[in-house]
Amino acid sequence: MSSGLISREPHPAGGISTFGRRDFLVATGLGLMAGAHTAVAASPDQLTWGVHVSLAPTWFEPAEASGIITPFMVFYALHDAMVKPMPDMALAPCLAESVKASEDGKSYEFVIREGAKFHNGDPVTSADVKFSFERYRGVAHGLLQERVAAVEALDARRVRFQLKEPWPDFLTFYATATGSGWVVPKAYIEKVGDDGFKKAPVGAGPYKFVSFTPGVELVLEAFDGYWRKKPAVKRLVFKVIPDESTRLAALKLGEIDVAYSVRGELAEQLRKTPGLELKPAVVQAPFCLYFPDQWDEKSPWHDVRVRKAASLAIDCKGINEALTLGYSEVTGNSIVPKGYDFYWQPPAPEYDPKKAKQLLAEAGLPRGFDAGTYFCDASYANIGESVVDNLLAAGIRCKLRPVERAAFIKEFGEKKYKNIIQAGPGAFGNAATRIEAHLVKGGVFSYGSYPDIDELYQQQAVELDRARREAILFKIQQLMVERAIYAPIWQLAFINGVGSRVGESSFGRIPLFPYTSPYEDITLKGT
Amino acid sequence: MTRYITRRAAYCALSLLLLSLTIFFFVRVTGDPAALLVEPGASAADIAAIHHRFGLDQPLWVQYGLFMWSLAHGDLGQSFYYQTPVIDLYLSRLPNSLMLAGVAMVFSLLIGIPSGILAAVRVGRFWDSAGKVFALLGLSLPSFWVGLVLILLFSVYLHWLPSSGAGTPLHLIMPAFALGWYFAAAHMRLTRSSMLDVLGSEYIKLARLKGLPEALVITKHAFKNALIPVLTLAGINLVIMVNVAVVVETVFAWPGIGRLLYEGITFRDFPVVQGVVLLGGAMIVVVNLAIDILYAVIDPRIRLER
Amino acid sequence: MSAPADVITLPSPPSRAARRRAIRLGDIPIVPAAILIIIALVAIFADQLAPHDPEVGKLTARFKPPFWQSGGSTQYLLGTDQLGRDVLSRLIFGARVSMVVGIMAVIVAGVIGTALGILSGYLRGWVDQVIMRITDTWLALPALTFAIFLAAIVGPSMWNIVIILGVTYWTRYARVIRGEVLSLREREFVQLAVVAGCSKWTIMARHILPNVINSATVLGSLMLGVVIITEATLSFLGVGVPPPQPAWGLMLSDGKQGLMVGYWWLTVFPGCCIMLMVLSANLLGDWLRVKLDPQLRQL
Repeated sequence: MSSGLISREPHPAGGISTFGRRDFLVATGLGLMAGAHTAVAASPDQLTWGVHVSLAPTWFEPAEASGIITPFMVFYALHDAMVKPMPDMALAPCLAESVKASEDGKSYEFVIREGAKFHNGDPVTSADVKFSFERYRGVAHGLLQERVAAVEALDARRVRFQLKEPWPDFLTFYATATGSGWVVPKAYIEKVGDDGFKKAPVGAGPYKFVSFTPGVELVLEAFDGYWRKKPAVKRLVFKVIPDESTRLAALKLGEIDVAYSVRGELAEQLRKTPGLELKPAVVQAPFCLYFPDQWDEKSPWHDVRVRKAASLAIDCKGINEALTLGYSEVTGNSIVPKGYDFYWQPPAPEYDPKKAKQLLAEAGLPRGFDAGTYFCDASYANIGESVVDNLLAAGIRCKLRPVERAAFIKEFGEKKYKNIIQAGPGAFGNAATRIEAHLVKGGVFSYGSYPDIDELYQQQAVELDRARREAILFKIQQLMVERAIYAPIWQLAFINGVGSRVGESSFGRIPLFPYTSPYEDITLKGT
Repeated sequence: MTRYITRRAAYCALSLLLLSLTIFFFVRVTGDPAALLVEPGASAADIAAIHHRFGLDQPLWVQYGLFMWSLAHGDLGQSFYYQTPVIDLYLSRLPNSLMLAGVAMVFSLLIGIPSGILAAVRVGRFWDSAGKVFALLGLSLPSFWVGLVLILLFSVYLHWLPSSGAGTPLHLIMPAFALGWYFAAAHMRLTRSSMLDVLGSEYIKLARLKGLPEALVITKHAFKNALIPVLTLAGINLVIMVNVAVVVETVFAWPGIGRLLYEGITFRDFPVVQGVVLLGGAMIVVVNLAIDILYAVIDPRIRLER
Repeated sequence: MSAPADVITLPSPPSRAARRRAIRLGDIPIVPAAILIIIALVAIFADQLAPHDPEVGKLTARFKPPFWQSGGSTQYLLGTDQLGRDVLSRLIFGARVSMVVGIMAVIVAGVIGTALGILSGYLRGWVDQVIMRITDTWLALPALTFAIFLAAIVGPSMWNIVIILGVTYWTRYARVIRGEVLSLREREFVQLAVVAGCSKWTIMARHILPNVINSATVLGSLMLGVVIITEATLSFLGVGVPPPQPAWGLMLSDGKQGLMVGYWWLTVFPGCCIMLMVLSANLLGDWLRVKLDPQLRQL
């Protein structure tokens, strides 16, 4: 930028005249524009994602999986697991060719697939599997260490996990709930260390690491030696675009090919734009209202009729249409996502504000009551607003208090909230793990409990027979609905956009997974 | 003179020290980063492990001491979230922010200076007001809104410019404009009053008496002198712009310092927040010091203040 | 204090009344002043003026355009937002929030900043040094960052935002007022008061303060715009006045997605309101500055 740009002297003597300068600038501008259009257009063997969160190096590290689903966006590309959820099977053997549980349920034997390799050419061996398991330090690692007695490498391709006691949920935890089943190269990590691994991760997944600019961009390249198939798209670029409107604009302009998380009216526009496709994905986050005051005899929430009234007042379908274009699932189950093991399907939730008012009147509150504060995660304040509105229409008056996410999770867990809490738990596991966290005494999010439910939970924890266990877990969920311990809203749909260059986007192929996976199946149109 | 400089420099150092203390304690009040890095309900042992890894389990004054000690060695610590040295993160993004601020400043002066001159010289009531209002308009519209409207107009409807990110000079135009327009008013005001000052000075009166055409008087003689304070302000504002661009950076996905800081606060990434604020503060303090010294050189009265 | 009869009256600064008289009614820029007064009236009489409840909406009436477009109705003159709430009613009640937040924040910042500026400028010495160092430190921390910080710590609520904004912007006042006080304290009328034995506090309150009120007022009118814009920006970043309270900044931030989709009324109307209010405040402030004291150039 020459200083001439800010001085406006029409100096006849000396220097370029302003007219000439302007000419030059215009020409450069046009030239740049022409050049820029080619820069903006995508290269033929690359697909670009517009990601809604800032990518962090901890997401290259399966050992640090923290119980949220976001890092799996990267895991499925860079890494592979012994057993993991795939399109046709909830627990599909991947790096493992087969899994066998022993008769007594105390040991599991895995056989590693022939020809499975890491990006650096090293074969995947049992030493790596053992190493990956033992170094795992993320969510539930304590539980794993407690239950698993030993991991034995029987030979280069066979690994046996020895449990202290029969644990029917072992595979669920190993394969989905934790990152311990995702295999990383032992020799490489021992050489470069944990920090070195995060700077240049090597895995066994369909794509290998090329470069990472923190907070800006992640670039991956196809790994042709992937056991399942050679990936069709050569390069994947993940760009961080935090603002939704900007993300949509980028998608419309073809600057990105896939946009994650497009909500509300932007999603509507996405649907109407030719050339763009809307891809919803229902995730494992059932949204609901929790009534932490229900154990307090003096609180109106103690009366089950009041809680039922609140549930009847919520127009789940209407809010669904409005906020997620109807793609969310109104399951009626407040804490267990549909698709989880031992999920029980309740009757569809009713929307009946008249009946709600009637119930309130029966409970002695004919003019409604002041329900206090409605706490929610600020990112989902839009759901909160609608629900508060609904409750108001039925006479339940409360004040919305959106709390910043970090503070919300912390304070929720520390049992600091009262009155009404809007929760949308997304943790992995199955019905039992969800019940444990949300209903049972001592659970992370349980503000109180009912002794009969606690009793039933203890029973199923030691029940080995699957059918009997299922019956108990179903009963617990039934009691939850009957007693309106929670009021269900929906199971959230994550709405994404796909551009015209994408052939197969891999959206929605793995149940309950909101991102594009398996990556090796993604194709460009026309290829 | 040297006494003046050393005194001011000492005050700067004191300010920075205070700033480091403030930010250090402030940031720890915002919350616990461990809560964000583990799942809710993690065992106390897990949380303790994280505290230990980040050195958060030590007494505050020890942490502060360690922090200052590494600072003395040019080490700003390691980001909790990105696990890279803060100084690397900062330096990788600083050029982007400086470039954005630089071009934004150009826009700002392009709007501010002419309208300030017009307002001072009163070239017909319309242009005087029009220029003033345009500059003030920039002050009256939130920059994120300006940014979004620009994207809508120039990217989505007209397809002239790319919508977000960085890369080509074209990516710079919209964010720089959105950022710069806000500061145009300040520059306009200062140009106007500075111009008024100069126009009333003896030097200009003499030029007029000499019979020089008014246009020449204004442009050749008055303007250059009037610019000095404006450019000084521009220098200060440049540094402020770097720090204030967070909104524009978020809307345009521009990889700059502002967003780094905002993310740091959201993720409770203490080292990033401390580092960015300290470095930003240091920039401002140093620029202020340089200007103070410059003024002291020009105006001896200032040096002698009690 | 009256001067003893046998002492020559020394020149004193024009009294505030005299200064005010100098501003004739015809001088005041009509349009900006009128706009601000209208906004204030709307804010006060919001309950009577608004046709609907600003916080309750009907999901069946979402995204209705203003009445002159197809699909709009006279029931919702300026359209509805994403929850079916009437935009006009929200704008009206939003005036209240913007006015309250804006004016209160400016007052808080003004009181703190003027007080510290006077103390710093008049007392000099270590008090001055301490206050100036604190000011420098505060200034080195960009206002927006500081505001985000505080919002993350104390949580957003309307009154918290007022305090946050006040605490963020007091430094602007302190600097300028201090500069004024530095030159004021050399003036004869202050010297006279010193010689006559007035205590420091009396001098500061009775002599210094009335003369810096001008600058503070001008600065206040300019800061009003800054504060309102900052409030809008904080809402955009998610840490402003919390929903469902209607605040123009929040409406702007909520409606920004609508911009992409063609629901222009969600942002254009609150944007216009913000713009009108801030522009008027700025124009008025500029005019005040010129009128009250052309020396206030550094503002």
